[in-house]
Amino acid sequence: MNHLSHDEFVLSYYGEPGLGDDRRAHLDACDSCRGELTSLAAVLDRVTPVEVPEPEDGYEARVWDRLQWRLNAGRASARRGRAEARPTWSTWMALAATIAIAFFAGVLWKSRTAKVVEPAPQVVQKGNPATSKPAAEPNRILLVVVGEHIDQSERVLVELTNLTPEGNVDISGTRDRAQELLASNRLYRTTATTRGEEDVATLLDELEPVLLQLAHAPSEVSADELRHMQKRVESKGLVFKLRVVRAGVNHESRTPAPPSTSI
Amino acid sequence: METDHELIEQVRGGDDDAFRLLVERHSRAIYRSAYRITGNSADADDVVQETFLRAYRALERFDARAAFTTWIHRIAINCSLDLIDSRKRRDGRVNDGEDLTAIASTAASPDRVVHGIEMQRAVALAMERLSGNERTAFVLRHFEGMPLEEIGKVLGTQLNATKNTVFRAVKKLREQLQPFTGSLI
Repeated sequence: MNHLSHDEFVLSYYGEPGLGDDRRAHLDACDSCRGELTSLAAVLDRVTPVEVPEPEDGYEARVWDRLQWRLNAGRASARRGRAEARPTWSTWMALAATIAIAFFAGVLWKSRTAKVVEPAPQVVQKGNPATSKPAAEPNRILLVVVGEHIDQSERVLVELTNLTPEGNVDISGTRDRAQELLASNRLYRTTATTRGEEDVATLLDELEPVLLQLAHAPSEVSADELRHMQKRVESKGLVFKLRVVRAGVNHESRTPAPPSTSI
Repeated sequence: METDHELIEQVRGGDDDAFRLLVERHSRAIYRSAYRITGNSADADDVVQETFLRAYRALERFDARAAFTTWIHRIAINCSLDLIDSRKRRDGRVNDGEDLTAIASTAASPDRVVHGIEMQRAVALAMERLSGNERTAFVLRHFEGMPLEEIGKVLGTQLNATKNTVFRAVKKLREQLQPFTGSLI
C-alpha cells in the first residue's frame, strides 16, 4: 500500500476525520510513515500560540469611546446644516504645511550647497548615514499634517457610510467638509508625489475622485444615489485603507529622526 | 445579567447603551483573536473597532438562532483578513529582508533553542509569510482547535478548499521551520 501523503499526515496530526480505516492501519504498521508523522509533529508542536499582551485597564471603555463617536457621526451628519459647516482651516493648514515643507527643503538645500563650496573635514560614524537627513525633516512635517488630513477624510467617509438610505437624505454637512478636504487633498497628493511618499500619494489619488463626487453632490440625495456613493466607498475599502495608511504615517512621523550631528 | 440576545433586542429597539455592554463584554476576546491573526496590537485595535462597527450595522440581519460570540468572531476574522490584505498590498511582502536561514544558524546553541526565543521569532516570521487566508485558517485550526468544517464556515469556503488552505499553510511552515527542529533531533 502507498505511504501516506502530506495532506493525510496533517489530517492525522490534527485528528480530523477523512482518514479511512485502511490508511490508519497502514500508519500504525509502517515505520516510515510513523517516522514522517513524528517529524511533522516535531515542527508543529513547537508552533506555540503567540503570547497576546493583555490590553490595559479600561480598554473596553476606550473601545467604546472611539466607537461611539463613529456611530454618532452618521446621525449627527444628517442633522447638521450648512450653517454649521466647519471653517476652511484644513485648506489653510495644507497651504501652511506645503510652505513649511518648501522652506525646510530650501534651508537644507542651501546648507548642503554651502558644504560643497566650503567642505569641512567630516568623520562619519558607521551606521549613521548623514545623507538620509535632508529628506527626513520635510517628510516628517508632511506626514504629520497628512495624518491629520487622513483622519478628517476618514471621518467624512464614515459619516457618509453611516447614513441611512431612506427617502431624501441631507448630506450638506458631509458635502461641505468634502469640499474643504478636496483642495487640501490635491495639495498633499502633489507634495507627497514630489517627496517620494508613494503610498500616501497613491491613497490620496484614490481618495480624490470620491471627495470630488461628494463635493459636487446636491445637498439632498435620493436613497439610491446615497447607496451608490456608499457602495463606491465600501467597494474600494477606502475607510480601511485610510486607517492602515494613517497608522503607518503616525508611526513614521513619531519615529525619532537620526542624530543631527556626525561624530 | 442580560444575555447577548436580550441586549441585541434592546439595541434593535434603539438602545445604544445595550450595544456598549456588548462591546464591553466581547472586546477583549476579539482583541486576542485579532492579535493572533494580525500579530500586533495596533492592528488588533483597528480590527476591534471595525468589527463592532460592522456588527452594529449588520445587527438587523443577525440570526437570533446563532450565538453572538460566533457571529462577532466571524466578523473579526474577516476584518483581520481585510487588514492583512490591505497591508500586504501597501507594503509588499512582509519581512523579505529577514532571512530565516540566518536565524536558524544562530539557533544552533542548545540553550537558545531551549528557551525558544529564536524559534518564536522564526515562527512569527514564517507566519507573516503566509497569505491572509492561510494564516487565519492555520491559527483557527492550530491555536484555537477549530475543526476544518467550522473554519470553512468562518472563511466562507468549501471543506475541500479549507483543507487545502490548511495543508498549504502547514507545508510552508514546515519547510521554513524544519531547520530549527532538525537541530534538536
